[in-house]
Amino acid sequence: MLKLVFLLLMATGLPVAIAMAGSSLLYIVFSGSLPPFAVVHRMIGGIDSFPLLAVPFFILAGNLMNNAGITNRIYNFALALVGWLKGGLGHVNVVGSVIFAGMSGTAIADAAGLGTIEIKAMKDHGYELEFAVGVTAASATLGPIIPPSLPFVIYAMMANVSVGALFLSGILPGLLMALLMMLTVAYFAHKNGWGGDIEFTLGRFGKAILELAIVAAWPLALWGLVQHGGLPAQPVVFGGLVVLFAADRFFGFQAVLPIMTPVLLIGGMTTGLFTPTEGAIAACVWAMVLGLFWYRTLSWKMFTKVCLDTVETTATVMFIVAAASIFGWMLTATGVTAAIAAWVLGVTQQAWVFLLLANLLMLFVGCFLEPTAAITILVPILLPIARQLGVDPVHFGLVMVLNLMIGLLHPPMGMVLFVLARVAKLSVERTTVAILPWLVPLLVSLVILTYIPSISLWLPRISGMVN
Amino acid sequence: MDLDTGPKVMGDDGQFHATDEAVDLSHTTIEAWAALGLFWLLGLTVFYQFFTRYVLNDSAAWTEEIARYLLIGTVFVGATIGVAKNNHIQVDLLYRYLPPAAARALATLVDLLRVAFCGAMTVLTVQMMQKMGSYKMTIVDLPMNIVYGVCGLGFAMMTLRSLWVMRVHLRRGYSALERPESTMEDR
Repeated sequence: MLKLVFLLLMATGLPVAIAMAGSSLLYIVFSGSLPPFAVVHRMIGGIDSFPLLAVPFFILAGNLMNNAGITNRIYNFALALVGWLKGGLGHVNVVGSVIFAGMSGTAIADAAGLGTIEIKAMKDHGYELEFAVGVTAASATLGPIIPPSLPFVIYAMMANVSVGALFLSGILPGLLMALLMMLTVAYFAHKNGWGGDIEFTLGRFGKAILELAIVAAWPLALWGLVQHGGLPAQPVVFGGLVVLFAADRFFGFQAVLPIMTPVLLIGGMTTGLFTPTEGAIAACVWAMVLGLFWYRTLSWKMFTKVCLDTVETTATVMFIVAAASIFGWMLTATGVTAAIAAWVLGVTQQAWVFLLLANLLMLFVGCFLEPTAAITILVPILLPIARQLGVDPVHFGLVMVLNLMIGLLHPPMGMVLFVLARVAKLSVERTTVAILPWLVPLLVSLVILTYIPSISLWLPRISGMVN
Repeated sequence: MDLDTGPKVMGDDGQFHATDEAVDLSHTTIEAWAALGLFWLLGLTVFYQFFTRYVLNDSAAWTEEIARYLLIGTVFVGATIGVAKNNHIQVDLLYRYLPPAAARALATLVDLLRVAFCGAMTVLTVQMMQKMGSYKMTIVDLPMNIVYGVCGLGFAMMTLRSLWVMRVHLRRGYSALERPESTMEDR
């Protein structure tokens, strides 16, 4: 009854959050089991959680980094690194997205902001618009797989697992996906006989490698000084920062400081130095220092705009989470989830069959629903079954988010598809066809990641976050 | 950005030179500014916590609780932005297959349901505040009704905004459900 009302309301086009909270409210009023204001109490209680504080700050950090001053630096860095390969700007597109995925947690914002720049550059350089749109769409899915990730925070809250473990589980799969995408770019380049987009010069390539080395060495050096040198932490970190910024001014690094963001974030969370929420705040402070004071490419007016966008996205996402907490609670209390679990377990007792069916279901749901909404509906239904069949909840989270990201790329509800169609001024039909070949590397990685859980679970295991 | 006009993003020097679009804040509604204020307070609170924990090695206990409540306020006041822009996440699949008259009737029903839901939530929040009367926060000695009151104000604003959205839809004769590419600015 509850589910029927909800599906009916959602089909009419009522906002998903209102459909969830509204159907719960109707059910409570008609069953008379609880005072109706319990709905409000439960909604507010649903977002009253410390881990969820990470949501607005990861959104803000991504938005702050997504301004021209920083994006130019990151693209120039990626260009120096891989722009000379055959199909150069296609590779730059993927590498740029990997770096950005380490700062931002959403796919749609990445597609809108970076996508515009990427597509414009590729078009200017004579690439077909279809190829540019396809590679941009595919690489946008990396945003929420490589940490930080908004969908992972929501999943972690719904599934009651550690955000840190989920973040770590996304690193290797993200790199695997990027590799498969670069192979696809190489295939297109080979087929069409494309060359590189810049000359290979040892100086330029060497400088990019050197910057990469500095990004890796600086945190390791600080860690070594504190851990093995026995020096006090605060002065070392402060001194290290002064040295780093002085070196940046003196040598004029291209992208050392922006690329440091993901390294600090992931490193800090792996070693247990930061909680994800603190990591999110640190990333925001870092981005503000770079944009407002160091590179001075972010005006205060722009900063206000970025904050307003952040508030809007946060409210939209968290309003769904609030509504889902009353809806999920009602689903469990009325025995709907138990009934679905019993039915599925009656069909199969095999984990691999369940994963296959779950993948198909999640791909299907992902075509119609935005990821946050889909996660809040799917987790209470699917996760109990997954647990019963011995599927690790962290692994299941990664598979779920990847499915939902792929759903963003195709009709009828693919938000990334719509955004890119608007940016490139292509029809939705042509954009769909343009993205089609890029579903191959994505679906291949989905199969690999679904059936080889150790790729996602290896990093969380060695850092002791998952048994 | 318009792809066809404007200078090349990647110049002849082989470097990227993208520029940001101009910022226009004139369409920002008053609830949006209020939510932004709450968000900045939230930012200051969590930064203060971060600072006390890592620099002073002694984190202030009140910050965590206040931060959670500020987040709740930001969400329920900020949700009005989505109502005013009518861009909360919704499924418009059905509308592609409905005849125009039926689509119009269903879209109007959706508008009515939204107003009814926001109105009901406002009333329920007030009811809850009456029940909770003297209930205090866990660590900080302040009444919980401050938090619930902000949420109630948010729901009240959502009710007004959804009424306004419905009026715009009735006047111009279509909603975003029937024309997904339209915004509230179109008349």
